[in-house]
Amino acid sequence: MTAANNQASRYDPAFANELYSIENGHYIKQCMQCGLCVVTCPARHLMDLQPRKYFKAIQAGDRDRVLKANTPWLCTSCNLCTVRCPRGIPIIDVMHGMKLYLAQKQGVKSAPGALFSKTFFDVMLKRGRQWEAWLTQMYFLKAGPSAIKDALKMMDVAQPMVLKRRLPLAPAKTIKGKSQLKKIYEKAAALAKEGH
Amino acid sequence: MTKKQAVYFCTGCGLGEALDIPALVKVAKSEFKIQDVKEHPFLCGPEGVALIKKDIEAGVNTVSIAACSERVCYDVFNFGPSIIVERIPLRERVAWVQEPGDEDTNMMAEDYVRMGLSRAKVTELPEPFLVENPSKTILVVGGGLAGMTAALEAAKAGYDVVLVEKEAQLGGWAGKVYKLPPLVEPFTDLAENNIPALAKAIEDNPRIKVYTGATMESIAGGPGVFNAKIKHGGGTAEEKVGAIVLATGARPYDPKKLTYLGYGKTNVVTHAEVEEMAKNGKLKEVKRVAFIQCAGSRDPEHLPYCSAACCVETLKQAVYLKEFNPDAQVYIFYKDIRATGKYEYFYKAVQQTGAVFIKTEIPGVQVLEDGGKLAVAGKDIILGEDVTIGDLDLVVLANGMQTNAAFGEEVVLEDAEAEAAAAKEEEAAVKLDQIIKSNMLNLVYRQGPEMPALKYGFPDSHFICFPYETRRTGIYAAGVVRATMQVPAAIEDATGAALKAIQCVEAVARGEAVHPRSGDISYPEFNMNRCTQCKRCTEECPFGAINEDEKANPLPERTRCRRCGTCMGACPERIISFKNYSVPMIGGMAKSIEVPEEEEEKPRILIFACENDAIPALDMAGIGRMKYSAWVRVIPLRCLGSLNLVWISDAMSSGIDGVMLLGCRHGEDYQCHFIKGSELAEIRLSKVSETLDRLGLESERCRFHQVSIMDYYRIPKLIEDFVAKIDELGPNPMKGF
Repeated sequence: MTAANNQASRYDPAFANELYSIENGHYIKQCMQCGLCVVTCPARHLMDLQPRKYFKAIQAGDRDRVLKANTPWLCTSCNLCTVRCPRGIPIIDVMHGMKLYLAQKQGVKSAPGALFSKTFFDVMLKRGRQWEAWLTQMYFLKAGPSAIKDALKMMDVAQPMVLKRRLPLAPAKTIKGKSQLKKIYEKAAALAKEGH
Repeated sequence: MTKKQAVYFCTGCGLGEALDIPALVKVAKSEFKIQDVKEHPFLCGPEGVALIKKDIEAGVNTVSIAACSERVCYDVFNFGPSIIVERIPLRERVAWVQEPGDEDTNMMAEDYVRMGLSRAKVTELPEPFLVENPSKTILVVGGGLAGMTAALEAAKAGYDVVLVEKEAQLGGWAGKVYKLPPLVEPFTDLAENNIPALAKAIEDNPRIKVYTGATMESIAGGPGVFNAKIKHGGGTAEEKVGAIVLATGARPYDPKKLTYLGYGKTNVVTHAEVEEMAKNGKLKEVKRVAFIQCAGSRDPEHLPYCSAACCVETLKQAVYLKEFNPDAQVYIFYKDIRATGKYEYFYKAVQQTGAVFIKTEIPGVQVLEDGGKLAVAGKDIILGEDVTIGDLDLVVLANGMQTNAAFGEEVVLEDAEAEAAAAKEEEAAVKLDQIIKSNMLNLVYRQGPEMPALKYGFPDSHFICFPYETRRTGIYAAGVVRATMQVPAAIEDATGAALKAIQCVEAVARGEAVHPRSGDISYPEFNMNRCTQCKRCTEECPFGAINEDEKANPLPERTRCRRCGTCMGACPERIISFKNYSVPMIGGMAKSIEVPEEEEEKPRILIFACENDAIPALDMAGIGRMKYSAWVRVIPLRCLGSLNLVWISDAMSSGIDGVMLLGCRHGEDYQCHFIKGSELAEIRLSKVSETLDRLGLESERCRFHQVSIMDYYRIPKLIEDFVAKIDELGPNPMKGF
C-alpha cells in the first residue's frame, strides 16, 4: 500500500491542525466549499489556488500546495468575500494570519509575494505615504538579478504610467507627525510580540 | 322544500357599465319566471346584504347572486344552512374578460344567468350524513418516536388514544440509539435520548391505552366507525376508533446489498452498529474512522431517493467518536451534505471538531484491506485527484432507510386484472393503485388492505397541498413511513397527523367532509334500483370509499367519502348524485346555453373546469383583465373526475361547437386534489371520440388541457387556439335540430 501511504500524507491532520492554531485559523475548519468567496474575489484570476480551493487544501493538510500558493499575498483586503461568506469566516483576517505564518516560516525572501509586501510596508513607514517609483525600484533590487529582467519587461507599462503621473519619479512629501506614526508602529509590534 | 327564488344583480365593480343589466333581468323574469329580481350598486356592502336579508325574512329561500365569482365574498353571502345561495360569476368570467358594452358580451352574460338559474332551480339543500355514536378515539399504529408523539399530542388535546406497537416495548428505532441529534436551539449539541421518558409519559397518561407485542388483524368501517381488531397476546382485542395515525416507521437499508462498499469486511459497519458500539462503550479504542455517505441512497440500483436522515446521523456519530476519544480523526466521504434547515449549524459545529470532509462520487469509492486495517480510496472532486485514506480502524456506511410500507407482496386484485385485460382491447384502462401487503393495517377495503403508494412504496398523499393525508380518508401517515426525514421533522409530522386525525373525527361527527372539500355536508346517493353491478364506481373511487358485496353491488362507506363525485362521473347508468350536484343538474346547465343559428356565425364552446385549480386560474385571468373569446361558457366541476360523458354528447347534440376540459396535472407529479380525477377524465374523453363519430362529428371538437393555478396567463391562448380550431372545423352540423 505504498500508494496509500503517499496519498495519506496529503490528508495530513497534523499540518491542518498547525494552521488551525494560527490567529483566526480555526475558522478555516468551517468552510463548506460553496465558492462565494471566489466569485467575488477581484484577484482570483491571479491566484494559483483560489480561496475555496486554498481552504480545501488546508483542510486536507496538503502541505506542498499550501506553502507554494500565492493566494494570501494577492489578497487586497477588499473585504467582499468576508461580507458574503455564508459561514461567517473573516477571510481577510484568515489571509492576514496566513501571511504572518508564511513570512515567519519561510522568511520574507522565499515566500512568494512576501517580499513585495514587506518592501511596500517599509517604504510606507519611512515617508508616511507610498512612493510608487521608489517602491518598484526597491522591490526589484531586493528581489535579485532575475527580478531585474522582469522589471525591464514591464517598462512598457511603467512608461505611460510615469507620463500620466501615476508613477511619480519625484519623492512624495513626507507626512506631518511621522514620528508618531513610528510610535504607533512600535506599539503595535510590541503588542504583537506579546501575542495580542 | 318549496323554493321561493330571488335574483340579485350587482352593478358595482364595473358590471353596470359593461353589461346591459335590464336584458339580464328580462332573462330571469321571462325565461325563468322569477319575479323577485333586484339590482344594487354595491351588493356585498352592508346595504346590499341587508336587502337580501330582508327578502329572506319575507320568505325567500333560494338566492341567486349575479355578481362576482363564487371564490370571493363567500362569507358575506352566507345566509346560514337553510338558504340556497347560487353565485353567477358575471364579474370575473364575463365583464372583466370581455369588451364592455358589446353584443357578444351581453349574450355571454345572459348565458351565465341561464346556467346559474337552471342550477338554482334543481339544486337542493344537502343534509349531513350522521353516523350513530361516532367514535372520537384515535388509533395510532406504531410506537416509535412519531407514533408516541402523535399519541401524546392527541391525548393532550383531550382525545382518547389507542396505541399499537408490534415490539414488546415502545420506542422503535429512535429508542435504540445512544443519543439523538440536536433538537433545540442553537442546534449544535446532541440531545439525550428522551424516548424512555416519552414512553413513561405514555404509560402514565390515562387517556392512552397501549397494546405492545400487538399487530393489526383487520380494520373495517370508515372514519368515525372504524372497527379495529388487534392481535394481542394470543387473542384479539376490538376497538372502535374514529381516525388512524399510521406511524409504522422505516428500517435501515439492508447492508448485505452494500458489498460494493465493503460491507462484510471486518470493521465495516452500519450506523445502527455504531449506535450499539456507543452504548457498549466500544468506541474508546477507535482512532481513525471513515464514513461513507449515500450508501445505497440516491443510487438508481438501490434506493433512488435521498434518505434525508443519514447526513445528520453521521455528523452525530462523528461527535460520539470525539466524545469517547478526543484524538479520534474522522473522515467523511460525501456527495452532498444535506444537513437541512437549522442542522446547518450542527454541520458547522462538527466541522469545528476537525473532521475532514471529502467530496467524492458514491458509488466510486472503494474500501480496501490495508494490513489489518482498512483504507478508503476515491476521487476528491474538489482537489481533482485520487485520494486514499489508510490506517482506518472503522469504516461506517451511512445506509439509508426504507419505509416499512414497502415490504410485502404487491396486491393483485384478480377480477380487476381480468377486467382490465378485457378492457384494454376496447379502451385505455384506468391504472390501478399500487398496494403492497405490508401487514400494517390490514384494511377491509375493496381496493386492497394497505395504503396506495405512488413511488418507492411510500404511502401517497397530495404532496403539495395535503402532505399528511393519504389516499384513505381518516388515515394519516406520519414520520418516516411517509417520507424520509430527520428527527425534528418526524416530531412535527406526528403532531400534524394527530391534528388531522382530530379534525377528521370532529368533521365526521358533524357529517362533514374532510379536506379538500372541508365542511361540505353533501354526499353521493345511489339509486340502487337501476344499478347494473358494473363496478366502475367501486374501482374508480380514488379513496376506496365504496366496498362491494358478493353480487358486486356498491356499498358506499359514507364517512370515507371526500365528495369529489368521481363515482358520479364513472356511473354509466347515472344513478349516483348529490343533493346539490348531479348529472341532470350540470347537463341542464349545459342545455340552458342559447345556441345561435348557424348563419349568425357565433359558435359556442363549453368549458368544464376543475374547481380546485382551473377555476381559480380563470378567475385570475379575469382579475388580470385578460381578454378571451366571447364564445366560451364555463361550468365548474368539483373535480374533473366527476365529468360524465353524457354532458359532452348532450352538449354536442344541442349544437355546441366544441368542449374543452381544464383539469389538473396528472401522472407521477399529479396535482389533482382527488388524485385520479383529471386522469380519469382524460381517459373518458378518449372514449368520447367514438360517440362523436356516431354523431358524425370530428373528435377534435373535444380537447383536454392540464392547467395549474399558475397557468392563468396561458388561459387566453388555450382558448384562442381552440376557437381557431373550431373555426377551421366549421359549425356543428347538429345546430337547429
